[in-house]
Amino acid sequence: MDYFLNQLINGICQGAIYALMAIGYSVVVGVVGMVTFTHGEVIMIGAFAAYYMFFLSGNQILLGLVVSFLASGVLGYFVYKVCYERFFNAPRHVSLLCTIGFSMLIKNLGQIIFGPNQKPMLDVVQQNFFKIGVVQISQLQIVIILTVVIMASLLSIVFNKTKFGIMLKAVSQDKTASYMVGIDVKKVAMLGNCLGCGLGGIAGLLLAIYYQTLQATMGGPLGMKAFASSVLGGLTDVRFSALGGLCIGIIENLGITISSASFRDMFAFGFLILVLIIRPQGFVSKKGAKV
Amino acid sequence: MKRTSDSKWVTPAMLIASYKKSPQAQAIERFYHKHRTVLMLILIAFLCIFPFFTNKSYVLGVICRIFLYSILAGALNTINGYSGQFCLGIAGFFCVGAYSEAILATAAKMNFWVILPIAGLLTAAIGLLVALPTLKMQGIYLAIVTLGFSEIARLIALNWTSLTGGPMGIKGIPVPVIFGFAIRSTRHFYYLYLAVAILFLVVTSRVIRSRIGRAWMSIREDQLAAKSLGVYTSRYKALNFMYGAFWAGIAGAIYAPYVRFIDSTYFTLDEGWNILSMMIIGGQGTLVGPIVGSVIVNYLTELLRPIGQWRLVAYALLIIVMMWWRPQGLAGASNSIVAVKGDTKLRKNSPRKEVQA
Repeated sequence: MDYFLNQLINGICQGAIYALMAIGYSVVVGVVGMVTFTHGEVIMIGAFAAYYMFFLSGNQILLGLVVSFLASGVLGYFVYKVCYERFFNAPRHVSLLCTIGFSMLIKNLGQIIFGPNQKPMLDVVQQNFFKIGVVQISQLQIVIILTVVIMASLLSIVFNKTKFGIMLKAVSQDKTASYMVGIDVKKVAMLGNCLGCGLGGIAGLLLAIYYQTLQATMGGPLGMKAFASSVLGGLTDVRFSALGGLCIGIIENLGITISSASFRDMFAFGFLILVLIIRPQGFVSKKGAKV
Repeated sequence: MKRTSDSKWVTPAMLIASYKKSPQAQAIERFYHKHRTVLMLILIAFLCIFPFFTNKSYVLGVICRIFLYSILAGALNTINGYSGQFCLGIAGFFCVGAYSEAILATAAKMNFWVILPIAGLLTAAIGLLVALPTLKMQGIYLAIVTLGFSEIARLIALNWTSLTGGPMGIKGIPVPVIFGFAIRSTRHFYYLYLAVAILFLVVTSRVIRSRIGRAWMSIREDQLAAKSLGVYTSRYKALNFMYGAFWAGIAGAIYAPYVRFIDSTYFTLDEGWNILSMMIIGGQGTLVGPIVGSVIVNYLTELLRPIGQWRLVAYALLIIVMMWWRPQGLAGASNSIVAVKGDTKLRKNSPRKEVQA
């Protein structure tokens, strides 16, 4: 039972990171209106940006967060330019294949530039453990969960209180109508894409310090997990995507306690297929962007 | 010269279009259509005697790969190019086919020619299982589920040690024997691959001209219209998926005895991207497209061998370039939805239409 509870804590921590990935993913898909396969690579670039930042500056975690947000945001700009801008009126598979090509490009360039091997991440947070009854929780886990909660609340403030956030919501609900009320749809879509990618970059940093390793090929399964989490919210709803990420984190960690750790990635897909069978349009009833 | 696009400049596409209208080009086209069967037979005869001109098993090995990937990219093309569904997990089907051949041949000691259809049908059944939960949904879910399936198949092959040998793989796969003659060397496999590739092309060209193929293409162009005209879209989409999976399984089953040893590293997602890039570069929605793609990509692979890692970068750039300027690929179906680029005149004038990826 102790083991089970501890795995639950691990699951919540990991689920928090997945939730951040999924939030970024659903912001991108909602605002741009096209599905992306580059999110895993965006996460990878965020992790590597933080790695080199920590390497240069010591353990300045706030600086690392800013740098990985910016690095992934800049990558998001290129993703937008290459994969979306020309294809708003094209059939969906064109931009989708373009994102696949772009993700291959970033992954293989990453392998050439950063090296193909796993790199050990620097210790930026002390590994102190706190005991609450039988449950053990590390300082690292608390930092991660707090970061995710802060990012999510910041995003919710941006979405609900600022003009930019309201424009983002408008664009993700109806592009033609937002264009008619004077919103520069392409610019807002570009900025929203950068914002979503930046959140993915922060998730990459958190993953790297949680697992203590990072690798140029880490993006593939992560991008698919971000997708699987977002399916719960019909790919575009931010809150349900976060919930989906949390679910996948918990399911994975409980799943590997009853089977072996090498089956970790299969639980995310099991969850995805289950959601698709039960309710393919997601659990949100409000009218949002169609993907 | 009639302007075919918005651009002020003379584009290569316009040059090609004007060349196609010239009398010489039309004469060549008429000649081709008149003597099509004869030309095909000459080509096949040339491919049959080709191994006698070269002694290098390296060259034959490369051509074997071209045949194999023509089948795989062609199988993917029957799914993506003809019915407009979006499958990314072709490596998973390839994996299932190869492992079922290897297991049945080593553990059950069955004859290769018995296993071949069994492996294909098994893969087709698994293809149906993959397609079922997503039939009523938009294409992107199918894409991600097939991608997940590909990884799941690889993970199972890696972890189910008692059946698949796990990380050790399966070694000593027996070679196929036909009328007491063992197909052993690269030259023998050349003929096996050629035969299967021709069989694939003949069967597929018959299927896509039949009622089934026309139903697939109508689904690709407009699913709603196809449905309203009485096409059972779900049924035909499932059938289409099974058909593609069947040929990918056959390709896996002829691949396993050729390499004699398989493990899960042959069937990673990179392999899937490799096949996908062949289909995209070569062309979607035509029979010849995947063959062109297979020739180009395999030739590039050999050409770019010295620069190793940059190979996949080159494929990625080629995919992006193709999507920007020629989304149907070099030899793709130019009169269909797969050929529609971004803001073209066609799209601007047509009423807004939801196209499913």
